[in-house]
Amino acid sequence: MKLVYTILISCLALIACNPQPEIDNATMLDGNQINDLSLTQPSKYLVSEYIANPTTAQKDTPVIIAAHGYSATTFEWDELRDRANLKKTFYVSQVLLGGHGRDYADFKAATWENWQEAIKTEYQKLTTKGFKNIYLAGSSTGAPLLVEMISSGYFNAFTIKPKGFFLIDPIVVSSNKTLTLVGLVGPVLGYTTSVLETGEAGKWYVYRPQESLKQLMALIDLTRKNLEKGIVLPTGSKLKIYKSKIDATADPVSAPMLYKGLKTNDGKNVEIEMYDSDLHVFTRLRGRIGVTAKDTQNQTAAFSDMELQVKL
Amino acid sequence: MNRRTITIVFLFLSVSVLFAQKIISRDLRVGLVMQQTQYLYNENGVGLDYTCERLLDKKIHIKATYLSSRLGSAIGTNALKQDYYVFGAHYYFLSKESLQILAGLNTGLFVVDYENPAFDVLPKSSAILAIETGLQYDFKLPITASLTAGYNVRSGNGVDIPGSLFPVFYKLSIMYRIKDI
Repeated sequence: MKLVYTILISCLALIACNPQPEIDNATMLDGNQINDLSLTQPSKYLVSEYIANPTTAQKDTPVIIAAHGYSATTFEWDELRDRANLKKTFYVSQVLLGGHGRDYADFKAATWENWQEAIKTEYQKLTTKGFKNIYLAGSSTGAPLLVEMISSGYFNAFTIKPKGFFLIDPIVVSSNKTLTLVGLVGPVLGYTTSVLETGEAGKWYVYRPQESLKQLMALIDLTRKNLEKGIVLPTGSKLKIYKSKIDATADPVSAPMLYKGLKTNDGKNVEIEMYDSDLHVFTRLRGRIGVTAKDTQNQTAAFSDMELQVKL
Repeated sequence: MNRRTITIVFLFLSVSVLFAQKIISRDLRVGLVMQQTQYLYNENGVGLDYTCERLLDKKIHIKATYLSSRLGSAIGTNALKQDYYVFGAHYYFLSKESLQILAGLNTGLFVVDYENPAFDVLPKSSAILAIETGLQYDFKLPITASLTAGYNVRSGNGVDIPGSLFPVFYKLSIMYRIKDI
């Protein structure tokens, strides 16, 4: 009996410890000095800010609201924005998910609903301003946030429905299956640590608090269950999934789950394209080391396809 | 070799092993198995549990189980259709008692059907390696119930193991007990 009590007290002590990470404010996004630039320069990131009073031509120009992934920032969609600025045939509105791009405490406190709020806010603003051709793109966790908006009927309240959705390396199942144990080991670990390349420093949170991992698990589990029941896109919307066939973060099995679970309003399948890539969010190459010609080819192909889709 | 053939071979081998022995005291349990994978599907099926005096005086049980999401979460939903063919060897710590504690190892084959050639690039099958432990109770009626939890040591990794092979699972078995066959 003494042994049982000892084990119980040890576990409680470990849980009560609530370990905190050591944050280097000078180099880490998790600290209080580095923030996502969209917070201080929103007009460089949000179409609703830099086109406050759109002309008729601007209202007809396609806009892609781009939502990044878990622990990331607007950086994840910089390259698509650069392409849009070059081509001048569409706009990219980079939203910063709630709790992201700020500091560890903000990330720890935010729920997945908070993450999603920024996407909803930008969609509301753009429809209010009269933009007619709005697309939404989600990379990694950005994808289930969009899928949840569809399944919850969020777009039903709008006269202007989204024209389409692009899901890049969407996550419905994590490749790292220890995420399913977050409820058990999370309170003991407190947080996990990610390893960033030099070019990624300040663009992703280094530390992932167990509270945020629980939110991620809750979101993707909800998404999976909704897909099993079946999700119908808004009227007139289309959707395409772009998935790396090897992905150490968002398990590629997410693709067939999404493909089976999503249907257009007229009962058709959504589009799917599997890419010969082993990168997670293969459309983001900036900041990576060892980018190959194949990686660049894949990014170009996906961006070209998205550009073509919004022209149709 | 298609799924139907694998199922038939699997059941034939299971039953053959049971009867390839001289007359000794043997117990056989057959019945329903229900599995819930944590954060994924409910997968159900059938199972066999065999033991005899030669297996450490009935302390070791040899088990064979077929589970499928086709008999669970995939009924009437978009859940992936996947099947488990499991062989296990479990040690029973209190084999003479009605309430027994068990622990053991499982192996076998996991197969998933993505139902679309677009996903031919994804891994469709994997060997199973799992540990399992739990409780079993023999009722006075010839019914045995067991409740176990297990951990798939090999689970999906986004590379070469199907992503819908999750680590943690829970099983409930209700079996008809045939003693001294």
